[in-house]
Amino acid sequence: MMDVGRHPRIKLLAYSEVEEVSGYVGNFRVKVRKKARYVDEEECTACGDCVDVCPVIMPDEYQMGLSSRRAIYIPFPQAVPSSYTINIEECLGVQPIACGKCAEKCDKGCIDFDMKDEIVELEVGTIIVAVGMEVYDPTLLDEYGYTRFENVITTLEFERLVDSGGPLGGRFARPTDGRVPKRIGFIQCVGSRTERRGNSYCSNICCMNTVKDSLLLRDHYPEIDITVFYLDMRAFGKGFEDLYKRSKDAGVRYVRGLPGEVKEDPETRNLLVTVENTTAGRLEEHELDMLVLSVGLEPREDSKTVQQLLSLSRTSDGFFLESHPKLKPVDTPTRGVFLAGCAEGPKDIKESVTQASAAAARAQIILNQDKIPIEAITPMIDLDLCNFCGRCARVCPYGAIVDVDPKRKVSPRVIEAACAGCGTCSAECPVGAITQRHFGDEQFFAQLEAMLGEGPEEKIVVFACHWCSYPGGDMAGVSRLQYPPSARVIRTMCSGRTGERLILRAFALGAPMVLVSGCHFADCHYINANRWTQRRVERLWDRLERAGIRPERLQLEWISAAEGQKFARVMGELEEMRKKVTPEEIEYTKQVLAEKA
Amino acid sequence: MLYRPLGKEVIGLPEGERIGVFVCECGLNIAGSVDCEAVRDYAERLPGVALAVRNRYTCSDPGQEEIKKAIVEHHLNRVVVASCTPRLHEPTFRKCIYDVGLNPYLLEMANIREQCSWVHLHDREAATAKAKDIVKIAVARARLLEPQVEMEVPVTKAALVIGGGVAGIQAALDLADAGHQVYLVEKEPSIGGKMAQLNKTFPTMDCSI
Amino acid sequence: MAEEAEFKCLRCGHEFIAPYDKENPQEHTCPKCRSNSVRRIKT
Ligand SMILES: Cc1cc2nc3c(=O)[nH]c(=O)nc-3n(C[C@H](O)[C@H](O)[C@H](O)COP(=O)(O)OP(=O)(O)OC[C@H]3O[C@@H](n4cnc5c(N)ncnc54)[C@H](O)[C@@H]3O)c2cc1C
Ligand code: SF4
Ligand code: SF4
Ligand code: SF4
Ligand code: SF4
Ligand SMILES: [Zn+2]
Repeated sequence: MMDVGRHPRIKLLAYSEVEEVSGYVGNFRVKVRKKARYVDEEECTACGDCVDVCPVIMPDEYQMGLSSRRAIYIPFPQAVPSSYTINIEECLGVQPIACGKCAEKCDKGCIDFDMKDEIVELEVGTIIVAVGMEVYDPTLLDEYGYTRFENVITTLEFERLVDSGGPLGGRFARPTDGRVPKRIGFIQCVGSRTERRGNSYCSNICCMNTVKDSLLLRDHYPEIDITVFYLDMRAFGKGFEDLYKRSKDAGVRYVRGLPGEVKEDPETRNLLVTVENTTAGRLEEHELDMLVLSVGLEPREDSKTVQQLLSLSRTSDGFFLESHPKLKPVDTPTRGVFLAGCAEGPKDIKESVTQASAAAARAQIILNQDKIPIEAITPMIDLDLCNFCGRCARVCPYGAIVDVDPKRKVSPRVIEAACAGCGTCSAECPVGAITQRHFGDEQFFAQLEAMLGEGPEEKIVVFACHWCSYPGGDMAGVSRLQYPPSARVIRTMCSGRTGERLILRAFALGAPMVLVSGCHFADCHYINANRWTQRRVERLWDRLERAGIRPERLQLEWISAAEGQKFARVMGELEEMRKKVTPEEIEYTKQVLAEKA
Repeated sequence: MLYRPLGKEVIGLPEGERIGVFVCECGLNIAGSVDCEAVRDYAERLPGVALAVRNRYTCSDPGQEEIKKAIVEHHLNRVVVASCTPRLHEPTFRKCIYDVGLNPYLLEMANIREQCSWVHLHDREAATAKAKDIVKIAVARARLLEPQVEMEVPVTKAALVIGGGVAGIQAALDLADAGHQVYLVEKEPSIGGKMAQLNKTFPTMDCSI
Repeated sequence: MAEEAEFKCLRCGHEFIAPYDKENPQEHTCPKCRSNSVRRIKT
């Protein structure tokens, strides 16, 4: 931690948040809000003189609310940067007349109530997302009595209680009476591996954490009797099985079975735990002085903000989605952005650090180059066809098309470095003046003609975007989900590329069903290009209906890269719909659309 | 902004389309539910196709060598690889054809694994018919592929790390030690993350900070 | 702001009412069959 503060090439922006990200790989522009600390970070020597005079007493988050802090505080003594901070929402001194005691006390004059949030603008080539996780809050899991019974705590609270820097100065004791407990129990998988209240995945660290805690207690308080209630003990890492064995050899009792219910004896404040010991096959009751809930890890609630800023995706469990679960575990779908640590999924420190080094190495592949190529999928505008309507500039999510002016008949110009290649402009141009390189209309038409040349009535045309729905289809394959063989997939970079011309051509060639699919709104890899997809499909439903064609034959679906299940389900449902499309309908559609063309 | 000419064009594009189709068996991953020989045979007779080959593992070194050799010997100017998802090996095969002078944009992939053999495991006939169709669609597109020139953009030699827990700290230190400027943004007043709250940590049982 | 509109699912035919904001389009999902092929019915 200290090394970060001292490193000449690391600029630490603590108490700060990223507010805006624009640009693309190699050239990101980032706006960071550096929140006002009201204490000069450089000048503060962390003497702590200010603290005693502060009249505001708040629960200390670092100590899990087990002790208190003031409105001016340092999270923990070894904090980096080593500076106090005023939580201005708690402080009384916003109008200095009201308080301002700390400012009077600070001889160096580091405290400044007029300090303002600062916006720092950065230019960077790559970004590493290491926003970590949250710890599961077992309050909702009422049967364990957390918050109802004071002697039921979480493993994170346990960490603070045994720590010499903790609220009790390292003298371990139970909350109700300050006495060292005689019998202590741990319950595993709290908030993990459950379909009810909590998460379905294994949180990966809690088994070993409990083994660790049991050994710490054995070392310092050999008289405490320790029981662990578990489902399976998962000690799969290097050296883990040894620790587990050591814990068992040291007399820690491992009971296979998770308690159904916890009651409190109102007099002794002891806890009565009923559990079905599945190894022994009997119902047991344990009386304990203290109970520790081995809580799991969860994605952070504010992950969505980062997700949207960087156009990332998340798996159904809420953690950030990597480009490939085996081969690209630290890459993300957004080029130049990498993942490290628990942001990607629950893991221990060693794995977090390993992944961080991997992400740093991947980032250096970019940083060590002077120039990097951008895929040649940008639009070319045929100025002889263009009527200067300006639609392309209006739909481009990146503002990459400029100059166009309908009134003065000025032609559009593409700024290629800003274009991300979604193809929405070429889909929306009313006169077909825009060709996306490598993904031109003619190439799509050729695919449709090949596909629908023979037995079109048996096929479902599926347009799928490169980032979400196409990999969603791949995920169905990886998971070996079986679905009817009628789907034929055409890949576009973005669903925004799936223009009216492509969809109508498919129907004109005799397609019974057409599916347009793309990323969920929150996952759109081109900011918001898929809003245009939705508007377009809505427009087409109206048009088809006016032409006497059932709008149901054009379907729309948002499928993420993780939703293999959904992809397979939709293919099944569409097949049912396909069977109901009559040959007469198809013939009629071909005729109507041929007349229009 | 610079343009990078792609494809050394050592061969020069021969007149007319000369497409090579490479049908991958992926061991039994594809061959298990698709009759790859039937697909190859079908591909060979599609318009524009000069050569169709079946490989056991197209992405392996021998598989890639075979593509390279075929490009040179048969004067291929387009390549279709019928194998797994382009999201896995499109970069592999683009590089492969580039190595012998073909523009990487003259590659097309036909996904007959994730979106065919693996999702129709128990219907060899339907899976084979679908695979043929997928190859036919890919060949139709390949005929219209054009060589492209990529633009190059300069790289800002700095990195942003969001989050100052143990992962963010490690990433920032590695990048900075490697000589790059790093900005580490942490939401809280101090870096450290969850690890700073831990007393001792497994497996070493030592102190966390 | 929080305007509502009537929608019809083009997968299962279910009709329902959901929030609708023309300026700020949202993803629509049929509450019955989970399809996103949800069409706003002009009234
Ligand atoms: C009770 C408990 C005990 C554990 N015991 C052990 C153990 O003994 N051994 C072991 O190996 N592992 C242990 N772990 C796991 C260990 O804590 C994690 O592996 C490690 O903390 C992960 O580090 P991280 O950097 O990914 O995430 P975090 O530690 O969560 O750090 C993320 C950081 O990012 C910051 N952040 C979040 N969002 C933003 C944002 N938008 N902008 C800027 N900054 C942001 C956060 O404030 C935080 O500082 C334990 C975990 C728990 C809960
Ligand atoms: S690590 Fe152990 S306690 Fe945690 S969820 Fe997995 S099995 Fe349960
Ligand atoms: S392809 Fe997309 S990003 Fe590029 S100019 Fe067109 S609309 Fe803009
Ligand atoms: S949308 Fe088409 S016609 Fe309109 S300005 Fe752009 S290129 Fe020209
Ligand atoms: S190219 Fe793809 S399908 Fe073929 S062997 Fe390699 S991984 Fe398997
Ligand atoms: Zn429905």
